[in-house]
Amino acid sequence: MKIIGLADDEVDKDLRAAGIGMSVAEARSIAAVLGRDPTLPELFNYDAMWSEHCSYKSSRATLKEFLPTDGPNVVMGPVEDAGIVAIDDEWCVVISHESHNHPSQILPNEGAATGIGGIVRDVNCMGAKVVATADPLRFGDPYGPSANKVRWVAEGVVDGIWQYGDALGVPIMAGDIVFDESFDNNCLVNVVAIGVVKKDEIIRSRAPLGAGEGGYDVILVGKPTDSSGLGGVVFASEALREEEEATNRGAVQIPDPFLKNILFKANEDLFRLVREEGVEIGFKDLGGGGFTCASSEMGAAGGFGMELDLDLMHTAGEFPPEVLCIAETQERFLIISPPEHRERILEIYNKDWDLPGAAGAKASVVGKICTHDRYIVRDKGEKVIDVPIQHLTGGIRYERESKPRKIDLFEPDLVMPEDMNAVMLKLLSSPNIASREHVYRYYDTEVQGNARIRPGEADAGLIVPVRGKGFGIALAVDSNPFYGRISPYWAGATAVAEAMRNVACIGATPSTLTDCLNFGNPEKPEAFWEFREATRGLADSAKRLWLKGYPGQPVPIVSGNVSFYNEAPEGSIDPSPVVACVGIISDAEKAVTMELKEAKDRIYLIGRRYDELGGSEYYREIFNETGANVPQVRFEEERAMIHATIDAIDRGLAVSAHDISNGGLAISTSEMAIAQEVRLGLDLEIDGCGDASLSSDRLLFSESSGILLEVPANRAKELEELIRGFNLEPFDLGSVTDEAKLVIKRRGAPLIDLDLAEARDAWTSGLEEAIE
Amino acid sequence: MRIAVIQFPGTNCEHETLVAVRDAGMDGEIFRWNRPEQELSEFDGYIVPGGFSYQDRLRAGVIASKEPVMATLKEEAAEGKPVIGICNGFQILVESGMLPGSGEIDLALAQNVMVKGGRIVRRGYYCGWTTLRHESLPRRSCGSFLLDGGALLQMPIAHAEGNLVTAKEGLIQELADEDQVIFRYCNSSGTAVDEFPVNVNGSTENIAGICNPEGNVLGMMPHPERAIFSWQLPPPGRRPPGPGPGRMVFESMRRFIEVSR
Repeated sequence: MKIIGLADDEVDKDLRAAGIGMSVAEARSIAAVLGRDPTLPELFNYDAMWSEHCSYKSSRATLKEFLPTDGPNVVMGPVEDAGIVAIDDEWCVVISHESHNHPSQILPNEGAATGIGGIVRDVNCMGAKVVATADPLRFGDPYGPSANKVRWVAEGVVDGIWQYGDALGVPIMAGDIVFDESFDNNCLVNVVAIGVVKKDEIIRSRAPLGAGEGGYDVILVGKPTDSSGLGGVVFASEALREEEEATNRGAVQIPDPFLKNILFKANEDLFRLVREEGVEIGFKDLGGGGFTCASSEMGAAGGFGMELDLDLMHTAGEFPPEVLCIAETQERFLIISPPEHRERILEIYNKDWDLPGAAGAKASVVGKICTHDRYIVRDKGEKVIDVPIQHLTGGIRYERESKPRKIDLFEPDLVMPEDMNAVMLKLLSSPNIASREHVYRYYDTEVQGNARIRPGEADAGLIVPVRGKGFGIALAVDSNPFYGRISPYWAGATAVAEAMRNVACIGATPSTLTDCLNFGNPEKPEAFWEFREATRGLADSAKRLWLKGYPGQPVPIVSGNVSFYNEAPEGSIDPSPVVACVGIISDAEKAVTMELKEAKDRIYLIGRRYDELGGSEYYREIFNETGANVPQVRFEEERAMIHATIDAIDRGLAVSAHDISNGGLAISTSEMAIAQEVRLGLDLEIDGCGDASLSSDRLLFSESSGILLEVPANRAKELEELIRGFNLEPFDLGSVTDEAKLVIKRRGAPLIDLDLAEARDAWTSGLEEAIE
Repeated sequence: MRIAVIQFPGTNCEHETLVAVRDAGMDGEIFRWNRPEQELSEFDGYIVPGGFSYQDRLRAGVIASKEPVMATLKEEAAEGKPVIGICNGFQILVESGMLPGSGEIDLALAQNVMVKGGRIVRRGYYCGWTTLRHESLPRRSCGSFLLDGGALLQMPIAHAEGNLVTAKEGLIQELADEDQVIFRYCNSSGTAVDEFPVNVNGSTENIAGICNPEGNVLGMMPHPERAIFSWQLPPPGRRPPGPGPGRMVFESMRRFIEVSR
């Protein structure tokens, strides 16, 4: 394509006409490096590789500035498709966290399904067995002006998740759902996957040492390449416009969990071959940016060039070279391996697992690794791409402008409602608090037989994935968009703190974090400021809450993703730094749930109540207000709270635990009583757990951080001592009763006296009503 | 004693099933669908595990039921060797005519329809724990050989099509009369309430598992292989460590093979 010598407006016109998203300046810089006009396939390849999605061109500097990615337990930080942390001397957790927001808004079922499809490949390609996924979801207002669309998206997304995850055979163990009108036109579908691998069996996503000299094969495995998902990364790097919806549909990939199921089993045989032969290979999944992205990144990471021949690729028909290079056809992997193992590797996929016969797929040798530094692609005998590989993968950087958004929010002047029981029922049935059971019954939590704590039983899911080993892996996700609306910084900080509290509340020690940073258009200074603030907030929490047992060391963030352009002409989403936390419990037998255990047990609160109802469910559901006093993280106190809870559970002092989040103390205590069939009740006195001047409704519904612990009465003193040992104040709220009632009093006067059977009915019906 | 865990494209429970087989004191291996089917004769018993064989195309289980390996499996079953089908495996055995055993397709495992108070409250896929009541006599089937009549067992289900229905008049009564109904969904005190969530998928008379007239072929929708350790049972933390109820199904299979030798 002619660039050199043409005026800017002409180049711009030609780029747009060809369907290329890059700027004229970017195109010119490519021509300058090549010393000639680039070919059309070259431009398409650069366009994909330099997209926001692949290159992190707007975000990289900020991530580097703030995020702590190293720590004593880190085996591999965020350099490849997934991060890795050690569990013990032998085993590791592999974790990856991605977004599939744009595709899910356009085609909810396919978008959400391919979100899982991509993330499990990221984890599997490190040599790991994928053992769990989690799905943080954000939908618009199910009762708002876009209700029909919102419900259609929500239902489609849930269907896509279960249809893919259940068929693949990977349990869905955690997740959350938030409804907020800012997601009316841009849903968020984030997805987390974790796997386990032995430390000495990790496989890297790069051309191994000696690959160039040895002329290693490049082998493409999986579904025949077609034009599906064409331009997916470019589409994910732009704001959604309704008039382009038809075109964008083509950018959504097509899921095939059936083929993935077979591929994973064949991959296990590949991993076994690698182990038994002691050979080092490179292995990577094909995701955003397709064949070009996977191949060039693997070559560049090994310091080699490569030569590829599209005529050797198995395809679903005739396609132009640029389509074969950057289409995002699902269910594909790339192997870089020594030629002497070629026959055996092809046999594993094509014969043993009969990919052609069982699923119309295949493994094909498509090129080789070279010692030069070029990325060369031939099509029909002709060289269509010949560029410096490091230039292609190096991407570009932008210094985006950041300007604080003017946030015009204030604390409302409210009159406390008379009937607190009615308030409780309204909150319990509200879409953001109601039980998630309606959704998680679609998720196969039992496949693989590792489930120990399931969705709905506690603040985090827990699996015991290695037979003969006692350790459990806990997983939780969090982010509150209403806090983000008030303060992106505190949204980031509280997301980390809550995800860590969630994991601690089953007795696991937070071991690593991931982040998926969902924001609007970064070319707008206010949106970029939101991104920076949220990142700074979550980094501060990770740094200041410490890896337990390593004072001063952060909880490392080993994987993550940035999703910009979550906006439509109607507006941007609320800043949404979504965080996942993995915790390890060395003896999974000790883990506890949130459900009340025994009458006469005592209930303790740690974490004082503050006047922090900004963004709270109480303000929004009861008064339709947002407020301004967003919950903050008091880092010293928060750390002590998390560490005290882990120790209390380890010592058997806390037999149940639940963190305080949406709906505050009143909702969290009631959830402990109604999480399962109602058997027990609570009789609590809350005066003293906040300033005397704080109104009673603020005490009840403030969303300040806190943890509730149930302790057998004869061990209450021990628990108090333990809590005091962390410089925290234990609040003895009262006791578990054998009457199915929640009674909450202040200075002896009842504020709430709620029938728990009625409460459970309200709580279990709210979600279904919102999405069906 | 060697058990073949038969794997089709799309099967996803073969590994935990193999764990359960070994845990019950038997040898076993995963038998891939494209292995020479004659090799199947070398085994003493067979399990068709759960999953989404051939992506549930057409109807759950129907494509797998036409594989050559299934023809051999029928011959081995005719010899009296035990065959247990779990979830999708049950669907495959029904589609192949091995259950209830006439050689014809007499039953269907239709889409789940959850009914409560006369109203459909949900349809399709559902994952959750259920209680099963053992309905038959001890030694009636290969997978319930060691169970007493009326025994209660906690096991999970995870399927979209487990609603056992038939158009064949009198078949349900016949199954009951011949003690071929092995498991029914019931509540925790052992009553088979015909209403969701006790009848979790709308199955006729709460039927969760049946055997053929000879008793050597058993099909069940719940997953015993996911309930072989007590720690796998919800709610967590309420049970002493030890075996789970699902293990009885595999130990029954072992005992069945021992006594039929």
